[in-house]
Amino acid sequence: MKEHAQYADSLALYAMHGLDDEREMAELREHLDSCGECRRELEALRADVALLALSTSGPQPPQRSRERLMQAIAAEPRIQHKHKSRFVLGRLQPRWLRLAPTLVAVLVLIASVALVRENLHLRDTRDRLARELQDQRGRAALAMEVMQMMNDSSLPRMTLVSARNVPQPQVKTIYQPQKGHVLLMANNLPVLPDDKVYELWLLPSTGAAPMAAGTFSPDPKGSALMLHAMQDGGIQAKAFAVTVEPRGGSPTPTMPIQFAPAG
Amino acid sequence: MRVSGTQVSNQTDEAALIARVRDGDQAAMAGLYDRYSGIVYGVALRVLGNTSAAEDLVQEVFLQLWRNPQAFDADRGKLAPWLAVIARNRAIDLLRKRPMEDDIDELPISTGVNLEDEASQRLAISKVRGVLGQLPADQRRLLEMAFFEGLTHTEIASKTGEPLGTVKTRIRSGLLALRKAFS
Repeated sequence: MKEHAQYADSLALYAMHGLDDEREMAELREHLDSCGECRRELEALRADVALLALSTSGPQPPQRSRERLMQAIAAEPRIQHKHKSRFVLGRLQPRWLRLAPTLVAVLVLIASVALVRENLHLRDTRDRLARELQDQRGRAALAMEVMQMMNDSSLPRMTLVSARNVPQPQVKTIYQPQKGHVLLMANNLPVLPDDKVYELWLLPSTGAAPMAAGTFSPDPKGSALMLHAMQDGGIQAKAFAVTVEPRGGSPTPTMPIQFAPAG
Repeated sequence: MRVSGTQVSNQTDEAALIARVRDGDQAAMAGLYDRYSGIVYGVALRVLGNTSAAEDLVQEVFLQLWRNPQAFDADRGKLAPWLAVIARNRAIDLLRKRPMEDDIDELPISTGVNLEDEASQRLAISKVRGVLGQLPADQRRLLEMAFFEGLTHTEIASKTGEPLGTVKTRIRSGLLALRKAFS
């Protein structure tokens, strides 16, 4: 017993959580781990301490305390504990509140996923609207160019008709020499095989070789609309002509000429 | 307040009541409360010195027992001393404003003292008070400072001017006197 004497007095305070010397407590715990006799003594001291608590018995809690407890118990869903778990005090709040952190985490996760999806959706919408805006700007610029050329009476106008006269395909061009822009509008054009296209040629007023002014394919009704920008502006045109060329166009016109200036 | 479950008589075994509480029997819980709320309330009131705070602590202790009856092992100890020590430790935590989830000593407390009915409790209480009354006043005061005020041995030595070793020895001998009286 002498071996345990040095710990005996400390055990009583240890049983009451009354030791505050960390080193002493660590030594005591280490000793308790290896000493069954001191563990039994600690257990006995805990029972002694419990007896000490009895000295205060006498006053009874008011009746309302019992009613309050029974109401609290009745209001609580019963959860069966399969295993022994910690007896933790200081938690009088409803049981469901224990799940609150988990629920909050799940809700935050769901909200995050929803926000990410919403963000991706908004990005897609933004990109789509940007593309549509660009397309509309392009179409507006084309329409503006068409209107300007059609309203400019000073620009040379030519009507091309079929050499065979019937049916009556018609090709109209409006040329803006300063910008080198050519607007072509055609109707009743014969439909070409898939590997062929119509090609418009600018015949310079200088008598130079014909210059390619864009290829086009009519829709099933034989109509076509094309705005072509020549590589350079300032080229004066004597006339325009249309030939049939392989898809992709040709460097020089392939005879015969399909459409040429009327008259 | 009506409670569900089979009626509880004064003779119903404590272990049987605990088993019924585990099955969700509210009447059994009421039975345990009727038996031991005085002990829990007495400790809480002595430590906290405030009836309202003591009532809250009684609620806390019994509600946790209802929620988690498996925390008490009826095969290894008695409920009354276990509840008393838990109530004391929790009250000290409140008194000293320690964190709400300080470790609670869950070890079973085994006493040979019968506390299961009111007459047995009165007898035991009378005996404890008799022993404490026979201790020298300064030794009794040391026990009270350690148990009901939650002071550490260093704090007690500082307050009383007694050497640390003397404080420890006198506290232990006071507890041994209680043990002897019930042996």
